[in-house]
Amino acid sequence: MLKGFGNFLIKELKVLARDPKILLGMIIVPLAIFPAMGAVMGYAVQTAQEQAVKATLIVVNNDGGNWSRSFIDFLKGLNAMGVGFNLTVHIENNIEPLTSEKVLELLSKYNTTQIIEIPKGFSENATAHFSNPQIRACLRFYGVLRGTSVFESVGSSVVDALVNQFNRAVAPDVLFSEKATVIKGEIKYKVDPSMVSNLLTSQSIALPVTILIVVMSAVQIAATSVAMEKEEKTLETLLTLPIDRLAILWGKLSSSIIIAAVGALAFMAGYNYMLSSVTAGIPENLKLDLAALGLVPSTFGYLLLGLSLFVTLLSALALAVIISAFAEDIRSAQSFVGYIYPFVFIPLLALIYLDINTLPFALRLVFYAIPFSHPAIASKAVIMGDYWTVIYGIIYVFAFTVVVMYAASRLFATEKILTAKLKFKGLKRKEKLAEEF
Amino acid sequence: MLAVEAHNVTKVFGSIRALDGLSFSVKQGEVFGLIGPNGAGKTTALRIVSTLLLPTSGTVKVFERDVVRDAADVRKIISYLPEEAGAYRYLSGWEYLEFMARFHTSDKSEARKMVMEAAEISGLGERLKDKTKTYSKGMKRRLLVARALMPKPKLAILDEPTSGLDVLHSYHVREIIKSYVKRHGVTVLVSSHNMLEVEYLCDKVALINRGRLVAEGAPQELKEKYGCTNLEEVFAKVVTFA
Repeated sequence: MLKGFGNFLIKELKVLARDPKILLGMIIVPLAIFPAMGAVMGYAVQTAQEQAVKATLIVVNNDGGNWSRSFIDFLKGLNAMGVGFNLTVHIENNIEPLTSEKVLELLSKYNTTQIIEIPKGFSENATAHFSNPQIRACLRFYGVLRGTSVFESVGSSVVDALVNQFNRAVAPDVLFSEKATVIKGEIKYKVDPSMVSNLLTSQSIALPVTILIVVMSAVQIAATSVAMEKEEKTLETLLTLPIDRLAILWGKLSSSIIIAAVGALAFMAGYNYMLSSVTAGIPENLKLDLAALGLVPSTFGYLLLGLSLFVTLLSALALAVIISAFAEDIRSAQSFVGYIYPFVFIPLLALIYLDINTLPFALRLVFYAIPFSHPAIASKAVIMGDYWTVIYGIIYVFAFTVVVMYAASRLFATEKILTAKLKFKGLKRKEKLAEEF
Repeated sequence: MLAVEAHNVTKVFGSIRALDGLSFSVKQGEVFGLIGPNGAGKTTALRIVSTLLLPTSGTVKVFERDVVRDAADVRKIISYLPEEAGAYRYLSGWEYLEFMARFHTSDKSEARKMVMEAAEISGLGERLKDKTKTYSKGMKRRLLVARALMPKPKLAILDEPTSGLDVLHSYHVREIIKSYVKRHGVTVLVSSHNMLEVEYLCDKVALINRGRLVAEGAPQELKEKYGCTNLEEVFAKVVTFA
């Protein structure tokens, strides 16, 4: 054993455990954040599953044969089987051909998002299956793509479950399903909604993660640069120079934005390379072209997304400058801005899994109130062409930033920038006292 | 015209009264020393004159400009050197001087002239090309004194200009101040613990204790008044009896 090691270790543990900044950052924050994330994700799964099993299905019977009636009876009997389904089934007969207009009309009539079509020849094929197993009966599924949450695909997987259940009850492989997706009011045939939403999700993870890294690193840079002026005793000199004090504030914010933007570009370049390396391994015929499906943002959408990111970054930086102005040194500043982090990464990570439009009103309000949610909300909204959500978000975050900037400029204009400091005990703000007379 | 006119200034931090009715005046072209024990209120007084802090009550004028009402105007004619000032670690001494000069003039050639002069005052020569993080404490202080004097301010406010420096660096800094003031007629308000320094530099001194003025006059006058051979004795006598 090293001589003195035990004694030194005990001292270190005492010092670290008694430092409230470490206690907060290393223990309390993770303890609070992960259960919160778990609750959010748990809620998302529960909502998606409830929506799926309580689904309202429209069944369009264009066949009229025995097998189609058996299938409809099977659907109606599912609720009573006690396997968790709670389906409401509406039957429509003989709507042929089932055109895009008819599909949209039916979806709107019953206010639902899923249609199963039993096409002509269904019963004939099902009967033929027993003499020739190569012949199978086809069901057509039309699902509306509403959002881009991970659990969007649950609805589409319910149809697979129905087909499997029926096959198990009647004969293996008698039924198969053909899927089509309704995107922005247009039907895309042979496009599985679950594949689209999975692809969108995998791509939409990149943006929140990028935002997370950019915002957090910019916040650190801004906080450090203000605290460094204090720690290295350069702030006092600066404040007595014949310059506008807001120039100091804006200089700090702008340099942090530039450094963060360079960091973001480097990150995006690396991340894009990684994504393209992953998708390069997928065979061409399995690839979905999101651009052809109208699921990539327009130029206007990209502009709005960029603007949303920019105002969010600005709001985070302004907040970091204010908070770090109460710190006396770099270490304290970095700890103080740790208070911002949960508000950055909880909404950003949660919105990878959740579609904000499917959340209860109160929870939706909470997400909208947090400025850092908005780029993630915007990234999904621009894909779906919902520009107003993005514009309202930008206006809100901009207003929030103006308020914070005003507070920051007031702080820089007075002696508070020099004398204010935050005490952890009770989080009381106190003036520097006699030691500096 | 008076360079500084402080009248009945108080400054309260929470429950502590750092300045308690302090009054003094500094004539133009004078080197005026504020001396007093630790916690007497010297730094607070200098920070108020340099517009960093607001007085709780009382008034301070710098060349007839009020430090509260006309703070921006005051900043144009003063230069302040804090006791614990630092320079930017990742800038060279030369870059630091250039950065500071640009706040005083938008004319590039004038800024260059200012920096050249500061380079000469500092006496750092080729070391100005090095990052300031490589400087010793004395070198850094010489750089900062040069920075404070280079814009030829009407009033230079120097808080403990030689604090923590060795004999040679202190000597050099004192010489810089003395010669620069003589050459350019700058008014200087200086605080110090070093009585020899005060005696050497100052035309007039004010002794303060617990935020109040306890004695004021030329060093020679004070020595005669209190029957002491040097300012250190005057200081001890006045502070003990105050």
